[in-house]
Amino acid sequence: MNGLLVVWESRDVFLWGAANTLSLVLGCLLLSIPIGILGAVVLTEAPDPLRRLFAEAVDLLRCVPFLLLAYVVYYGLPELGLRLDPWWAGLMSLTVYTTAYLAEIFRAAFRAVAPDNIEAAHAFGLSRSLIYRRIILPQVAITAAPVIGNQVITTIRDSALLMIITVQELTFAANFVSANHFTPFAPFAAAVGLYLLMSFVVEAGVRRMERVRKGRYG
Amino acid sequence: MTWPAIRTILDGAVVTAALAAVSILLSLPLGLLLALLREGRIPGVPALLAAFVSLVRATPFVTLVLFVYFVLPAAGLELEPVPAAIVALTLNTAAFSSEIWRSALVTFPRDQREAAAAFGMSERATFIRIVFPQIWRANLGPLVSEVTILLKCTPAVAVIGVVEITRAAGRIGAETYEPLPPFLVATLIYTALIATLVRGQRVVERRIARRFGLARP
Amino acid sequence: MAETDAAISVRGLCKDFDGFEVLRDIDLDLAPGTTTCILGPSGSGKSTFLRCLNWLEEPSAGSVHIDGKPIGRSGNGRATRPMARRELASTRTSIAMVFQHFALWPHLTVLGNVTEAPVHVLGRPKREAEEEGRAILARVGLTEKADVYPHTLSGGQKQRVAISRALAMRPKVILFDEPTSALDPEMVGEVLSVIRELAREGLTMVIVTHEMSFAREIADTIVFMDGGRIREIAAPTDFFTNPQSDRARRFIFRP
Repeated sequence: MNGLLVVWESRDVFLWGAANTLSLVLGCLLLSIPIGILGAVVLTEAPDPLRRLFAEAVDLLRCVPFLLLAYVVYYGLPELGLRLDPWWAGLMSLTVYTTAYLAEIFRAAFRAVAPDNIEAAHAFGLSRSLIYRRIILPQVAITAAPVIGNQVITTIRDSALLMIITVQELTFAANFVSANHFTPFAPFAAAVGLYLLMSFVVEAGVRRMERVRKGRYG
Repeated sequence: MTWPAIRTILDGAVVTAALAAVSILLSLPLGLLLALLREGRIPGVPALLAAFVSLVRATPFVTLVLFVYFVLPAAGLELEPVPAAIVALTLNTAAFSSEIWRSALVTFPRDQREAAAAFGMSERATFIRIVFPQIWRANLGPLVSEVTILLKCTPAVAVIGVVEITRAAGRIGAETYEPLPPFLVATLIYTALIATLVRGQRVVERRIARRFGLARP
Repeated sequence: MAETDAAISVRGLCKDFDGFEVLRDIDLDLAPGTTTCILGPSGSGKSTFLRCLNWLEEPSAGSVHIDGKPIGRSGNGRATRPMARRELASTRTSIAMVFQHFALWPHLTVLGNVTEAPVHVLGRPKREAEEEGRAILARVGLTEKADVYPHTLSGGQKQRVAISRALAMRPKVILFDEPTSALDPEMVGEVLSVIRELAREGLTMVIVTHEMSFAREIADTIVFMDGGRIREIAAPTDFFTNPQSDRARRFIFRP
C-alpha cells in the first residue's frame, strides 16, 4: 500500500522517465529505419569491395555490447567538442546500434521477396528505384513486420541501459524513486508495468500487420 | 593506456565472461524445463509461466537486475551482487530460450511421436531418445544467438556494483580523468570476444548442416 | 526481310553459361502480326532464347532488334556498347512477357497488377489505366476479380491476370514463357483460349510451349530448337506432317 502511494506521489517522475524512453525510442526509429533501409540497399546492390566492407562493418557493430557503445559515445562527444545533454548521447548510440540490426533485417527481407516478382518488374520496364519503392519495400513492410516488431521491443529494452549514463528514462526514474523512498517493489513494478504496456502496443501493431499479410498473401 | 590498466580491463572481461558462462549453463536447461512445463498438463502452470515469460521478455535487462537486487530482499531473498547478477542473467536468458525450445517442441513432427508411441516408447523415453537429440541440433543457431545476446547484456550488471569490465573501465577512467580510452579498449576487447563466438557459431552451424543434412525442420 | 520490317530481328545470338554453350548462332526474323511458337525438347535453350529477346538473359554475342530498335546494346556494327539500365528499362516497355509461374505481385490487387507498369513506367493517368485495365480483364473473363488479391485465384486465373498485365502495356510484342506448363490440366484450356483470341486479333506473339496441338492450331510459324540451335523454321502443317530433320522427327513422334 505504502508502495503504491509512493508511486502515485512520484507519478511526474515516472511520466518524465516514460516520456524520455518513448522519445528516445521513437527518435531512434525515425532515424534508423530509413538509414537501415539504405544500408540494406547498399548491402544488396553495392559493387563487391564496398559491399563486403559494409557487411563486415555491420557485422562488427552487431557484436558490440550496447552499454559499452553508449559509454564510448557519452565520453566521446565531449572529445569532439560537443557538450550535449546525455539524452543526445543516448539517442546517437541507440540509433547507431539499431541501424546496424535493421540493416541486416531489411537485407534478409529484401532477399525474401520472390525473385520472379523482381524479374517480372524488370521485364515490364520498372527502374531500380521503382522496383524498390513499389515492389520490394511494400512487401517487406508486410512480411518483415514481426521481426521489426521484435527489434522495436529490443530497442525499448536497450534504452533502459542509458540510465547508466545518467539519461533520465523510465528505469532511472524507478531506481530514483526506490532509492529515495525505500519501497523498492512498487516503483520497479510500475516501471515493468509500463514497459509491458509499450510491448503490448508494439505487438498489437504486429498483429495488425499479420492480418494485412493474411489478407494479401493468404 | 598503460599495461596495468589494460590488465585491469582484461580481468574485468574475464569476470563478465565467467558470469555469462555460468548463466548459460544454468539458463539453457532452465529454458527447456520452462518450455516442457508450458506444454505440459499440470493445471495453471502453463498460464503462469506464459505470463512470467512475457513479463521477462518485455522488461529491460537492467531493470530486471535492479529488481532482483533491490526487490527480492523484501521477499526474504537477500543476495550479494554477483549471485544477484547470475540470477538475473539466468532468468532473462531462460525466458528467451524457452521460446526457442517451445517453438521447437510445438513444431516437432507429430508422426515421429506417434511412431515412437506405436513402438511402445514412454513419453519420457520419446523425449530423451527422439525429440531432444533433434531439436537441440536444429536450433543451435537461435540458441547460440541467445548466448551472444546474453554476453552483450552482461555488462549491465555493473549497475549493482559487480566489478566486471564496465566497472573496470570506469574506475580507470576515474583515476586518469580520461574516460574515453579505457572504454574504447573495453569495447574492442569485448567486441572481439563476441565476434569470435559468432564466427565460431557459423562454422559449427555449417558443419552440423553438412552432417545431418537439412538441420532445420 | 530487312531488319526494319520485322517485328523481331535476331542476328548471330550466342549464349555461354559457365563455359557451356547454351545458344549458338541464332538468326531469326519474325513478321509483325504473326504468332510464332518455339518448340523443342527440354534443355534445347528455348526459354533462354526467349529471355534473351527482352534481355532478361544477356547473350554472349549477337543482337536483337524489336520493331527496328535495338535491345540491350546500342550503336551500330562495330561500335556497340551495352545499354544503360534506364535505356534498357525503357526499351522493355514495348515488349511484354508472360511467365511460367505467373510472377504476379502479391501485395497488389489484380487491377493493381495490371495498372502498375502503365501508371508508373509509362506515366499514364491512373483513372485511364484503371478503365483500360478493367476492360482488358473483362476480355479475359475476370471482371469480378479486379479488386481481389492474386493469392485467392486459381492458376488459370492468375495466368489470365498475367496476360492482362502484359496487354495493358499495349506492347509491340508479347513473349510467353511456357504459359501453361505450371497449370493443372483442367485450367490449361482457359489460358489457351485467351491466347487463341489474341492470335486471332493479330498481336505479334512468341510462345515457348509444350502444347503441340495448340501450336499447330494457332501458330503462323514454328521454330524448332534443339541443342541450342534453330533446326527448322516452317509453317505448322509443313512442320508436323513433313519434318525436315531427324531431330524434329524424333521430337514430334516421341516428345
